[in-house]
Amino acid sequence: MNEALAQRISDDLLRPVVTTTWKFWLLVAVLGSIVAMGLGTWFYQMYMGFGLTGINMPVYWAFYITNFVFWIGISHAGTLISAILRLVNAGWRRPVTRCAEVITVFALMIGALFPIIHLGRPWLFFWLVPYPSERLIWPNFRSPLVWDFFAINTYLTGSLLFLLLPMIPDFALVRDKTTGWRKKLYSVLALRWQGTTKQWHRLESAMQIMAIAIIPVAVSVHSIVSFDFSMAVVPLWHSTIFAPYFVTGAIFSGIAALILAMATLRKVLHLEEYLHPVHFQNLGKLLLMMSLLWTYFVFAERLTAWYGNEPSEVEALIVTQSGSFAPLYWTMVVCNFVVPFVILSLRKLRTITGCVIASSTVLVGMWLERFLIVVPSLSHKYLPYTWGHYRPRPVEIIITISTFAAMMLLYTLFAKLVPIISIWELKVGEHPVAAGKAAELREHPLWKANP
Amino acid sequence: MKAVYALYSDPDDVQRAVDGLRKAGIADDDITVISSEPIEEYEFSHRHRATWIHWIAGGGGAIGLALGTWLTSFTERAWPIPTGNMPIVAWWPNLIIMFEMTMLGAILATVITLLITARIPARTPKMYDPEVTDGKILVGVENPNEGSVSAIERALMSPGVARLKTIQL
Amino acid sequence: MPHRWGMAVDLDRCTGCGACVTACHAENNIPTVGDSQAARGRAMHWIRVERYWEGEYPDVTLKFRPVMCQQCDAAPCEPVCPTYASHHTDEGLNAQIYNRCIGTRYCANACPYNVRFFDFFHPQWPKPLDAQLNPDVSVREVGVMEKCTFCVQRIHAAAIDAKAANRELKDGEIQPACVQSCSAKALVFGDLNDPESEVSKLSRSDRGHKLLDDLGTLPKVTYLNRPQA
Repeated sequence: MNEALAQRISDDLLRPVVTTTWKFWLLVAVLGSIVAMGLGTWFYQMYMGFGLTGINMPVYWAFYITNFVFWIGISHAGTLISAILRLVNAGWRRPVTRCAEVITVFALMIGALFPIIHLGRPWLFFWLVPYPSERLIWPNFRSPLVWDFFAINTYLTGSLLFLLLPMIPDFALVRDKTTGWRKKLYSVLALRWQGTTKQWHRLESAMQIMAIAIIPVAVSVHSIVSFDFSMAVVPLWHSTIFAPYFVTGAIFSGIAALILAMATLRKVLHLEEYLHPVHFQNLGKLLLMMSLLWTYFVFAERLTAWYGNEPSEVEALIVTQSGSFAPLYWTMVVCNFVVPFVILSLRKLRTITGCVIASSTVLVGMWLERFLIVVPSLSHKYLPYTWGHYRPRPVEIIITISTFAAMMLLYTLFAKLVPIISIWELKVGEHPVAAGKAAELREHPLWKANP
Repeated sequence: MKAVYALYSDPDDVQRAVDGLRKAGIADDDITVISSEPIEEYEFSHRHRATWIHWIAGGGGAIGLALGTWLTSFTERAWPIPTGNMPIVAWWPNLIIMFEMTMLGAILATVITLLITARIPARTPKMYDPEVTDGKILVGVENPNEGSVSAIERALMSPGVARLKTIQL
Repeated sequence: MPHRWGMAVDLDRCTGCGACVTACHAENNIPTVGDSQAARGRAMHWIRVERYWEGEYPDVTLKFRPVMCQQCDAAPCEPVCPTYASHHTDEGLNAQIYNRCIGTRYCANACPYNVRFFDFFHPQWPKPLDAQLNPDVSVREVGVMEKCTFCVQRIHAAAIDAKAANRELKDGEIQPACVQSCSAKALVFGDLNDPESEVSKLSRSDRGHKLLDDLGTLPKVTYLNRPQA
């Protein structure tokens, strides 16, 4: 490829890493203080007792579990989409993969924190880890929460490595292009990467295998999150449709998060020449498809419960659709179906702005969806005498908000430390392959011997 | 370490240089080509195609599966505690743990194989030139025999447009 | 043959007086949470008396149903616990080990009867109630789940007494606090493995039914219907 073009790609994509303005520090300070407030609130909740939350009998799970499902769902954009696009070798994936995979890693870290935040005794969370302890007791492998532990562990390890491996050549690039402390830092991170043909081949084969492995793991993770609900005999939870329904919702909300992240990066880091309207067009179409799939699942679930006419299920159904949860329910339908359907199915509206609007409503709608799965069923279980209500208390709201800030903070710091678009992968995409030359090469005797 | 190498701009020149080195009697494994991106369209980049990494990933998966099976059924039998009228070794839930351990095993085996076979991180400094980052392609030989240095240099210069360098680390 | 503890509740006898609830609180060191917390759904009644009104005013009837842990044989609360805090004992009891509990509250969600309770705060007793704690029952710390144990401390004490005297346990020898305090004798406790015990006979009665029987949880508490008027 042309060296001047390579030079420009490197310069454009390195600029956010090497130049820092006061705006960055201001953003970090604001987000950092919100995160600190959230952490402080969590410690306050631990010190004072879990009663500071709005949790009660019978609604023993609420905001924290909603956030858990929501964030694990968000994590399904990145690695999963990037892996699929890698396997089908979609050329337009190149500028998208890394900023997507980062979402996965950070959303998983935040999501995995919530089951710990929600514990009555969070300081004992390590009892879920299988290790030979002095207590002589192991985790109960029959419990879906232990499945969660294993699934999230595998998914986090896999997607972290999936993110880190292609970063090594870019670290080498930053090492060569910078001076001072940065050079020292990135020299360590680059792990003496050379870029020999052998290394490139090994890296690409490894990424191929990782892509194949990570797809079933991602599907299993959200299926297992759905099992947390569907294993319990609770009205509307105990449903065979939950696993694919949750996976669909997860990918749906994940794509929305990815579109928002890309639009922000494009604007803030001036990556207009790398993140094109066509990327948003394509992701917008994917979002539309997931919206329709999600609607189909909701319809199938609701219809079955309504037609089956089992009293406790119908009660939970009615309280969601026309009872006290109705405003939230219909907001969800508008956010997840009406708005994305209208915006994304009309080509004129499927612009970057259109995609951003649809994605924002989808995130709101999907958060509500998780809330409406968790709370109405618990508040209307079988015995009417024990029906209850739930209202969030300040600690839950603060901690919820602070995790959104934590996501933005981690993303900002990452984009400052690492080129957010994979530079080497982008350069590969720019390769001009003259058709004649390729044919000529195939006639080369050594190629024939060693294709 | 001593290395003789040349930098090229055009991959066609790289192919010629590699062919020249071969003619000069340098073994394929001793010829190093370094670029800032994978170059798939040329023969020189296909000298080290690995196919067995898939088998190692499969092997890692098998080890993970065995570990998962052992972990679940061993710990359940070590202190059998009945819950909810389920069998002590309950295979439905155990399958989930076994699946996750299998995938973890496959992923870790893949990454470990990558790190070992691609020598990441390298223990000693290797032949490298920062100009590679700007799009140049490096062809060279590490630690050449004293006798073959001039033949290598001639081969590297054969495409005509190279910049020859010799480094001593 | 091990014992298999069960209970029969005669709904025709229950007057809804609530003595069982009070006795249970006193016996099992269950903290009272105060009115504001109770209004927020934090009251911990291991046994509660459910009230249901039937018919249209003025032609209404009031029905009571005391509900405690049903000690299910296929308990949905047990397998979901990641730390084996909730598990099944040899005598069929649905046991809760407080020290193992990390407070996921999953068991409470899985329980269709809503008879599991969470310690939202460190337990406190207003004076002078703090001086009357039962030494046989551990006080639960903040963040764990607790529930009806069929007064397992009384079961163990009676079993030890019987063993010391080298005799079998007699039917009716063990009385959980709720049974002991029920002046209408609506509650009967005993061994379901002994076909001659009073609870076995009542459980076989054609008035008997299980709560939410169709869920397949196999409860060991049998409710006896009011005879139709």
